[in-house]
Amino acid sequence: MLTEEARFQAFMDRINRGEKIEATDWMPEEYRLLLIKLIHMHGVSEIMGAYPEKEWVPKAPTLKRKLAIMAKVQDEVGHGQLLLRVVEDLAAPLNKTREDLIEDIYKNKVKFHNVFHMEARSWADAGLIGWLVDGAAITIQASLLQSSYGPYARVLKRVCAEESFHMKHGESIILALATGTPEQRKMLQEALDYWWESLLFFFGPREITPAVDRMLYYRIRVLTNEELRQKYLDKYVPRIQSLGIKIPDPQLRFDREKNCWVYTDPDWDRFSRMVHFNEGPKSRERVEMRRQAHEDQRWVREALLRARKQAV
Amino acid sequence: MAENKKDFDIFEVFVQETHLDSHIHVGSLVAASPDLAMQMARENFLRRDQAVNLWVVSRSQITATSYESPFFSREMDKTYREVSGYTENGRLWRMFKEKDMDIEEIVAHVREQSNPVAQEEEKPERRESR
Repeated sequence: MLTEEARFQAFMDRINRGEKIEATDWMPEEYRLLLIKLIHMHGVSEIMGAYPEKEWVPKAPTLKRKLAIMAKVQDEVGHGQLLLRVVEDLAAPLNKTREDLIEDIYKNKVKFHNVFHMEARSWADAGLIGWLVDGAAITIQASLLQSSYGPYARVLKRVCAEESFHMKHGESIILALATGTPEQRKMLQEALDYWWESLLFFFGPREITPAVDRMLYYRIRVLTNEELRQKYLDKYVPRIQSLGIKIPDPQLRFDREKNCWVYTDPDWDRFSRMVHFNEGPKSRERVEMRRQAHEDQRWVREALLRARKQAV
Repeated sequence: MAENKKDFDIFEVFVQETHLDSHIHVGSLVAASPDLAMQMARENFLRRDQAVNLWVVSRSQITATSYESPFFSREMDKTYREVSGYTENGRLWRMFKEKDMDIEEIVAHVREQSNPVAQEEEKPERRESR
């Protein structure tokens, strides 16, 4: 029998050789807990991310736009289901089920991304979410394709394939507005002004927090928050500027000497409170809707289980 | 609450994209019954991709190897079973003024003779997302 230390070392050797870890493999408790925390938050963010966009389904300007945004909402919830499934297998030894993972949302035991606490005020906001919020999410997910945890990396492959549609969908709305009337271009500018800070915050604090440090150690993640934010700015700043809209940060520039983007920090405190205490403009309302959806349908889930027990 | 614990079953989902493909495992889901698992599988995995057949299998019915066992270890060289073990042929054929030939060449040649419409049906367009 291996000693605990040898077991841990063998595990780390596998990670460092670039091997993937599977749900049934032995893993250190810390690795399991970090994965649960990360993927639970990711899955729940997909589900809560459907809310700002679903609000625009009845108000979409054309039938084609309505169908497309509905498809996107459905994808987000689908991604949430795939990701929660990954968490369930990890959390089974802790006796946690889908019920618990969902209830955690309205018991404030799990966070979700800051952007989904915000209000989607206009159709330009809805388009900007599809373009720039999804763009940020895609940047992070693309880096997580290299995660050491096999089941997560596999689900992300499917998620990223569908995100390629989300990318085009968001761009299409934005391009229609950018080539539209002065009023539409104004809407677009207002949307960017409203969302810019929260997009920077989305990637998390500049410093490497202890949890991120451990995730890098286990290769659950391979890039830091700041590296991801920089990669996002590389790809998106020139495209935003090409549309002739103004990024609301006078400090924003590429510093050739330091070889990185310089930007004004978002209001870390404000967004962090939003995420930790559900204090955003739409947090409470959306969390309450999620609670209602879950509680109001409890009888259906219970009836299904009773029907099965009788059949056995 | 306690009743809900571990009650929904886990189903593994297998999709057959075309008649010429085998079923491929795509992921898993939780559902109260196999029928509902089938509905969920279509919603979760086939919103875009085509399929001709779908399996849902209760995870409890699956017997699997361990990722850490030496079950797949290969003690000996198996190139004698593989094309790569016969690279020498090409050089020898050249001695007889002939080129090396592989199976793809025969498959392509046989297809050339057959009805072009039938070929179309056998090889439907695959989605790029995989």
